[in-house]
Amino acid sequence: MATVAELLDQGVRAYTRGDSAEAERLWLQALDLDPHNERVRAYLRQVRGEKPGAPPAAAPPAPFAPSPWDAGPEASATVVVVEEGSGIDLGAVDEKSDIRPLVADQRPPARPPPAGDVATWMEGARELFALGDFSGSLEMIERILRLDPTHAEARAYLRQNEATLVAMYESKLGNLHTRPRLAIHPEEVLWLNLDHRAGFLLAQIDGSVSYDDLFALSGLPRLDTARILASLVAEGVIR
Amino acid sequence: MSDNEPFIGIDLGTTNSVVATVIDGVPRVIASRTGQTLTPSVVAVARNGKRLVGHMAKRQAITNAENTAYAAKRLIGRRWGSPEVEDARKVLPYELVPGPEGNDIRAMLGGRAFAIPEVSALVLAELRADAEAFFGRRVTKAVITVPAYFNDGQRKATKDAGRIAGLEVVRIINEPTSAALAYGFGKQMEKKVAVFDLGGGTFDVSILDVGKSVYDVIAVGGDTYLGGEDFDRRVIDWLVFSFAQEHQGIDVRQDKMALQRLRDAAERAKIELSEVRGSAIHLPFLASGPEGKAALHLDRQLSREKLEDLTQDLVDRTISVADRTLRDAGIRPAQVGEVLLVGGMTRMPRVQQAVKAYFGREPSRGVHPEEVVALGAAIQAHALLSPQRGKEVLLLDVTPQNLGILVVGGYFATIIPRNTTVPTSQSHLFTTVQDGQTSVRIAVLQGASEKAVENELLGEFVLDGIRSARRGEVEIEVTFDISADGIVGVSARDSATGTRQSITVTATSGLTETEMRRILEENLDEQLTRRQVGDFERLRDRTREVIDEIERLAPAVKDALARSRFGKDAVVRAEEVVARARAAIAAQDLQQMIGVEEQLDRALQLFKGLASGSAPGSPGGGDGKGA
Repeated sequence: MATVAELLDQGVRAYTRGDSAEAERLWLQALDLDPHNERVRAYLRQVRGEKPGAPPAAAPPAPFAPSPWDAGPEASATVVVVEEGSGIDLGAVDEKSDIRPLVADQRPPARPPPAGDVATWMEGARELFALGDFSGSLEMIERILRLDPTHAEARAYLRQNEATLVAMYESKLGNLHTRPRLAIHPEEVLWLNLDHRAGFLLAQIDGSVSYDDLFALSGLPRLDTARILASLVAEGVIR
Repeated sequence: MSDNEPFIGIDLGTTNSVVATVIDGVPRVIASRTGQTLTPSVVAVARNGKRLVGHMAKRQAITNAENTAYAAKRLIGRRWGSPEVEDARKVLPYELVPGPEGNDIRAMLGGRAFAIPEVSALVLAELRADAEAFFGRRVTKAVITVPAYFNDGQRKATKDAGRIAGLEVVRIINEPTSAALAYGFGKQMEKKVAVFDLGGGTFDVSILDVGKSVYDVIAVGGDTYLGGEDFDRRVIDWLVFSFAQEHQGIDVRQDKMALQRLRDAAERAKIELSEVRGSAIHLPFLASGPEGKAALHLDRQLSREKLEDLTQDLVDRTISVADRTLRDAGIRPAQVGEVLLVGGMTRMPRVQQAVKAYFGREPSRGVHPEEVVALGAAIQAHALLSPQRGKEVLLLDVTPQNLGILVVGGYFATIIPRNTTVPTSQSHLFTTVQDGQTSVRIAVLQGASEKAVENELLGEFVLDGIRSARRGEVEIEVTFDISADGIVGVSARDSATGTRQSITVTATSGLTETEMRRILEENLDEQLTRRQVGDFERLRDRTREVIDEIERLAPAVKDALARSRFGKDAVVRAEEVVARARAAIAAQDLQQMIGVEEQLDRALQLFKGLASGSAPGSPGGGDGKGA
């Protein structure tokens, strides 16, 4: 007779191959053997309470506005303590956001940020965002953060701009499980106008890796990877 | 193929691993789901948190070096602070830390501490998944190979890795023995066989005494830091140097992306040159141009002769190591009856020439050197598990190293010699070394050296209350019992008084049973999460397809509605739904996506109807409401 551990394992296998009913049956059997097993109960809750699945553990829980086109982003509630001279710790804003260190030179400003400039840029960033020019908005935000890495609203816009841009670029790629291939003759690659990062990504595209894989192995922030891949697709270099 | 549960043999290598099986009596390698026979023994946690194993992990091993574990085999079953671990720490780019008990090792990947058997388990699980895809059903039984010099702890840790990967490891066998099995040796022959194993990261040379189904590893030597990667490095350096000469001294190694591409290209060229005499290396847009100029390309031709020039000293080193091993064992090259080549690097013609010149005979070539060890393991699994087994050689479980105790002068007294079949029980008599001595300390050791200090201490205990007498007069009987499970019981008894003391020694991999359970449970959670992430990705992709379709239809729908009195707000509503769907994708929010899915589908159906002129309210619709 199978043990609780074996039934758990068999249930997970059934669940991962899509047979939720069999998984539930096996976990119920396990629960009969060990009625107080919290793990079994947790699995049963999962298999019963979701169609087709609960949000992935990696998914950020932040609730989004119904549409990012309708309203600007909420001010960030994240408090980031930045020690003087340490530069911005973008990773601390949101571990899951894949935010890239936008600002190459992270030394503290030599003089206090000109409040007038920052306010103007922030206004510009808001307007561009409202108009749907997320790249332009992002550019403004980068300027602000270069002067004032702690600017809360700029940080919130940074996150929102990036998330929106990533979604836009990814939508141009289509199904991220697709394995892209070179759409031009290999000799023609030399005639393209690419930088070394695009060259690296292009070198990985051999028909065996999917877009999702490329995001994992590129070593670049998701936004940069998405931007480069979308541009390669748009230029007909890959398909 | 039979209906019985399938079984596999696994060569869990330092650099690459291979899985094989036996079908209709014929051993064969199982290709991965992407069609490759070798799976790099590399595990990584990517920047986006995704776990990568095998080729995918290797492809980002340089750009994400601090989160990529390779060569875990050098660490498995080792103790924190041991010389081997200290050596490894000097060269490995990922961080190693001591385990919670302080005596084993953890690899830090993506901010999480992985026990070394866990790292190996990820590779084994990948191979198991490949085998399950091949068979189309569950695979749980495996034979795994390890180097002949692995001690009990390392073997136990390898078994633990198998268990974490969901495999029942029915036998651990020595790699050179496995290679000899794949060649079918040991049935009707009696001779000495040299196994020359030059892999990706390590070089092992073993001499086997083969005959009457006995595979006695009589000598082992090698260099744990010599392998194919050293050959690759020479090619990389050559490429870097010539690139720098051409482009004002630019050192492309400074850029991790460039270095990753150089390494991949160097390995590819090296492999090609075992078959052809010249290989072209094209790496467009390899590095940024100086002062913002256009990116630079690398374009070189590497000849076999050049590769041989670059690596001659490495080939020479393998022969020196082989020579030292044979000398230590008191064997002349001419006494070796067969030479087997194992490992991808032995496909290099210059290596084969060097081996032939040294041993004075052609090496055997019948079996692919990268697959031979896995094939032998599969043959052994077949002999152990298959009801259709024939007269294959069935290896018996043997002690991998000598077992004994510390004796006066710091020497090691062997009680059970290596290669003794288990279960077994053997006793030796010892005596006191001082007058009036009433206790003796029994230190249980394992190893090959005569000096106790060079062997591994498994445990110790004190036998008290022995008869006080002149030195040499008291007889103490020390007995070693090894059970079929490999558990070693050691007892010491004063023959005169009958006073007895004992301990039980179990090989430890460094993982406690509690930790093992935790890891197994985490694995289950991980599988569930992966399934859920899969659900999210599938729905995300489908949502995107629906959005694309809606946007494709939008102009036709707008045209149709411009001629209609009805449904003016359809486009606006659809745009709202599309916007919500896009926001859900951006937020990676599955629940939000599920919430909008139905509305999105309805919008698509409406658009399709409007575009084709058949929807209610459409100009050509069938409900009579059209314009």
